[in-house]
Amino acid sequence: MPEPSLSATTNATAVDNGDVVAGTQSLVLDLPPVQGTAKVEKSKTKKLGIVGWIAIFWLVAVCAAAILAPVLPIPSPTKNFLSATSEGPSLAHPMGTDSTGQDMFSRVIWGARASLLVSVSSVAFGLLFGGILGLIAGYYRGKLDTIFTNIFNVFLAIPQLVLALALVAVFASDPAVSVGKREFWLIISIGLVSIPIIGRITRASTLSWAQREFVLAGRSMGAKNKRIMSRDVLPNVLPAMFSIALLGIAVVIVLEGGLSILGVGVPPSTPSWGNLIATGRNELTRIVGACPQVILAPSIAIFLTVLSLNYLGDVVRARFDVRESNI
Amino acid sequence: MRAVLVRVVQLFVVLLVVTIFTSFLIDAVPGDVTYTLAPVATPAQREALRHDLHLDRSPVERYGEWVSGLAHGDLGCYYGTSGYSTASSCPDKVADRVKDALPISLELMFYAQLLSLLIAIPFGVLTAYRAGTMFDKTVNTTAFALLAIPNFVLGLVLAYYVGTKLGWVDPTGYVDFGKDPVGHFQQLALPVISLAAGQVAIYMRLLRTDMIATLQEDFVTMARAKGLSPARILWRHALRPSSLTLLTVAGLNVGALIGGAVVIENIFVIHGMGFLIADAIARRQYVALQSYVAILALGYVLVNFLVDILYAILDPRIRHARAIA
Amino acid sequence: MVAAACSSKKSTGATTQVGSSDTTKPVEGGSVVYAQEAEDAGGLCLPEAQLDISGENYVRALYDTLTVPDDKGNFVPYLAKSVGHSADFTVWTIGLRDGIKFSDGSALDAQVVKNNLDAYRGAYPARHPILFSLVFGPYVKSVDVVDPLTVQVTVNQAWPAFPSYLWSSNRLGIMGQAQLDSADCAKDLIGTGPFKLREWVVNDHMTVDKNPTYWQKDKDGNQLPYLDSITFKPVPDGQQRLNGLTSGQFQLSHTSSSIDEEQLRALAKDGKITNNESDKFAEVAHYMLCTAPATDTVCPGSPFSDEHARKAVALALDRQTLNHVRGKDIPQIASGPFAPGAVGYLADAGFPQFNLDQAKQEVAAYKADTGKDLTFTLGGTPDPESVETNNFVAGMFQAAGMKVTTYSVEQTQYINVAVARNFQMYGWRNFPGSDPDSLFVWWNCNNAAPAACDNLVNFSGFNDPAINADLQNGRTEPDPAKRQADYEDLNRQFSKQLYDLWTNWVVWAVDTDTHVHGILGPPNPDGSAPNPGLASGHPMLGLFVTK
Repeated sequence: MPEPSLSATTNATAVDNGDVVAGTQSLVLDLPPVQGTAKVEKSKTKKLGIVGWIAIFWLVAVCAAAILAPVLPIPSPTKNFLSATSEGPSLAHPMGTDSTGQDMFSRVIWGARASLLVSVSSVAFGLLFGGILGLIAGYYRGKLDTIFTNIFNVFLAIPQLVLALALVAVFASDPAVSVGKREFWLIISIGLVSIPIIGRITRASTLSWAQREFVLAGRSMGAKNKRIMSRDVLPNVLPAMFSIALLGIAVVIVLEGGLSILGVGVPPSTPSWGNLIATGRNELTRIVGACPQVILAPSIAIFLTVLSLNYLGDVVRARFDVRESNI
Repeated sequence: MRAVLVRVVQLFVVLLVVTIFTSFLIDAVPGDVTYTLAPVATPAQREALRHDLHLDRSPVERYGEWVSGLAHGDLGCYYGTSGYSTASSCPDKVADRVKDALPISLELMFYAQLLSLLIAIPFGVLTAYRAGTMFDKTVNTTAFALLAIPNFVLGLVLAYYVGTKLGWVDPTGYVDFGKDPVGHFQQLALPVISLAAGQVAIYMRLLRTDMIATLQEDFVTMARAKGLSPARILWRHALRPSSLTLLTVAGLNVGALIGGAVVIENIFVIHGMGFLIADAIARRQYVALQSYVAILALGYVLVNFLVDILYAILDPRIRHARAIA
Repeated sequence: MVAAACSSKKSTGATTQVGSSDTTKPVEGGSVVYAQEAEDAGGLCLPEAQLDISGENYVRALYDTLTVPDDKGNFVPYLAKSVGHSADFTVWTIGLRDGIKFSDGSALDAQVVKNNLDAYRGAYPARHPILFSLVFGPYVKSVDVVDPLTVQVTVNQAWPAFPSYLWSSNRLGIMGQAQLDSADCAKDLIGTGPFKLREWVVNDHMTVDKNPTYWQKDKDGNQLPYLDSITFKPVPDGQQRLNGLTSGQFQLSHTSSSIDEEQLRALAKDGKITNNESDKFAEVAHYMLCTAPATDTVCPGSPFSDEHARKAVALALDRQTLNHVRGKDIPQIASGPFAPGAVGYLADAGFPQFNLDQAKQEVAAYKADTGKDLTFTLGGTPDPESVETNNFVAGMFQAAGMKVTTYSVEQTQYINVAVARNFQMYGWRNFPGSDPDSLFVWWNCNNAAPAACDNLVNFSGFNDPAINADLQNGRTEPDPAKRQADYEDLNRQFSKQLYDLWTNWVVWAVDTDTHVHGILGPPNPDGSAPNPGLASGHPMLGLFVTK
């Protein structure tokens, strides 16, 4: 059998009782790593390379800016420079200002804070629960596996965005709740959406490791399941989860943007990259006082961040040979 | 035969769980439809309206009503001020909305898939064949960059530059194929491109990876040895067994494109299924939402089934492998 | 084009103030697409519906009201032939025109008008009005058929402004008997209006066709309306409406956004479109403060039952700057709820001027009284423009030392939040400058102060004896001078108590392809000029296209 590059797909094909559904609906997660050459079938030794270092540098810079936003020498993101509304980039405002004279550079940096908070937290939430469920399903197999897999499948039948939209409507539509609470529920909603996706991939990866000799040996020697899972299986599954986490964060940054366009993302009083684009969407098209930087600045920030995350996700995957098959 | 049976059972399980889940989920949404039908009302008036709409019944009862309607081929009725109604007396049938919106969503999905496959397949095959060359690297880098552009950003930029600035097409709106075929494709071009851009990258990379693997298989080496032309090997022999992953992912994408294109639908003011769903959530139209989610779930299961069948056609070995599993 | 000749630096010269004379000769035939900012998805069962601007335009196309306001804001008969009253203003006699037919062929007679009025006030079994039952229910004693063309309405006290209620911001259309009784009253639209419904795909489009036997003709004896058909398309995003107008996708579009209007003025100046603006009989945009004592369910967390808190926000709100930056200096800053020309208008009703230092003092006074920082939330609609505006305003409050969080509420839930008094500070607009008595339903409380107002739609929850008295006196007072005094008093009381922070009178613009004319329609049947306000839509019967 030709070896498909996707761990989830491969495993699903083989063991899912006639279910070939790949591990995820979020397609970015399905990307196979780019291989440099046709001669080496799996480039296990994929190097980070200069691009990788640039990507890491960018992500570190974005994270640092997000964490340090309150102490950086930048104006408040909500300060209105009334003598400089809708201005292009200048020394005082490196990314220009929006129509109410707010400094776009500051808003993009503060936006990173909200976008990263939401994406990292919700992916962490998804990893924790999806990971545990996937681990259990993949390790114990049998009935438990069937139940979990079917639950994952069922929730994959509803498009992510629709599910997130519905969950946000349930949890975060009471106007009386504070920004913090809305962000919290947004994180929970997106986290819930990601559970089946992460669960499936973790399960697939676990399945392959749980069949390995050293695990089987441990089992036959009577070691406790919990112990095997945490000592033998988990460390091997972690790289897969890490690469998913990187890609997942990228997906959620974009998802938050989509939700913002639909009016249910991070509340507008706290800038996020998504809501900057959503509120700025009309600035692009104005006949009088158009200031495209209002949407371009956060768009470029999303672009570079997603690009870096995708690239590093690829590298991690290739490096740890996440595409391991159980056949 | 057994596979078909399994599928049918699976279909019902998915439908049941998804709709029950939706039913309880929407029950938990604060504020009900009476607030959108009659924003201003005394508590007594609101209670009366809730009673008329059967909203004072338990979620289980309402779910039962919906299911029994469905069993009679009735997708339900939008809530209105005239009270609860069944298909026969319904002023605003969910089925009518679906009849308008589903074809639009299917068109959008179909064109986006077609466009992305038409671009992705040749590039995927060629980059695999020329793996490691400058051509491969350039195409891959471009694809990688495309992938990092959120579709709504692309949509907004296209709507502005192509729609408003250049004036080639109307920046918003949908034209029916039957009324104006040229206008139809003009109007759908931008949303389709916005949806397809990211997919091209994904599809291409999937195909390229599988193709590289296939090209190292013995039968390819054999074919080479026999002196078949590279083009013939690539297109006639190697492509088919290499397209399984691509097929799976493209299949999954069908569901995501039908309901999940809501942001692009919003930007281009196209009233497809995504729009209906978002609108039903916002207006707390539970019955309608229930039916829409059921339609999506149905589509998802059917497409997966179809992918299964195609798998077997594309690669006969699968049939055998399946039988063992 | 007038606009092309205009070279003033400010683009205002390009804009037609509606009501200015347009002498283009009407042309019959043609059809237009009209982009609307919203959709009344709930349908047009008029007594039960709670319509927004697009619904009001639908009503203008499909129905007629018994009265309409003229250019001076006086109410004149429209579908009615005459509206008369007894000496004490308690019995109103409505005379009907002979020979008017509904779109289903049935005749307009006294019985169907009585049934309509009964439906609006909640005395017609098949219909369950909500908002209108608050407006009419307690105040209308009976509606009787006197003869086939005469209806008599008896009200419980002198009610000189009653004819304005027969218009009710264009919401009181007269429906055919079949629609009144229809189970599908929301979609089964039967009126006497200039157009008939062809099809309505909710959220997509409504197409209406000319009513060839409409009862009105223009002054040259030509049958009205001029257009063969109108297609209304809901396009909620203002920028998308504007883009569609310039690309020729739409022939008409409307907006009340200053950001859009600034661009539309520029387009009109270049002769690309016709921009018809009006701030006549305008609504007032304002921030509502939830002023009832805060509990878990009423005004939760709101500091605004405290006078210092209200003064602090009023003093910190720099309305000049707000109007300059967000309003593009297009609308006028509002002195109170009543726009110029309306009864009760005052150039200065005493609303506090912006004063940052005093605002800070009030914040300190609030803290001294309550031991708390002045903290509150500010809610608005989710459209980008209002989000930006509210963030901008929040910045002003923050500058005075308050802590403000902005948030947005889905359009469909927006009123619900206000009715539930589940807000602290909330963006709003209302009170189109009809007769000031129309405010009665919004503000009057029937329970004794200081309990929170028992009136459902007094969203702020204030219960002010002075305001209740002014509303009551204004309603029953026939003498115009005394009425003016009553409403001026009310106006001042608002600026003193600061239940609402007035920002501006809303400018509405109807923008059209340069070939579209006749936004305001022909003179009223009694010969008076049509009302130049655009806040409740505009007539459709006089629209025509010269191409």
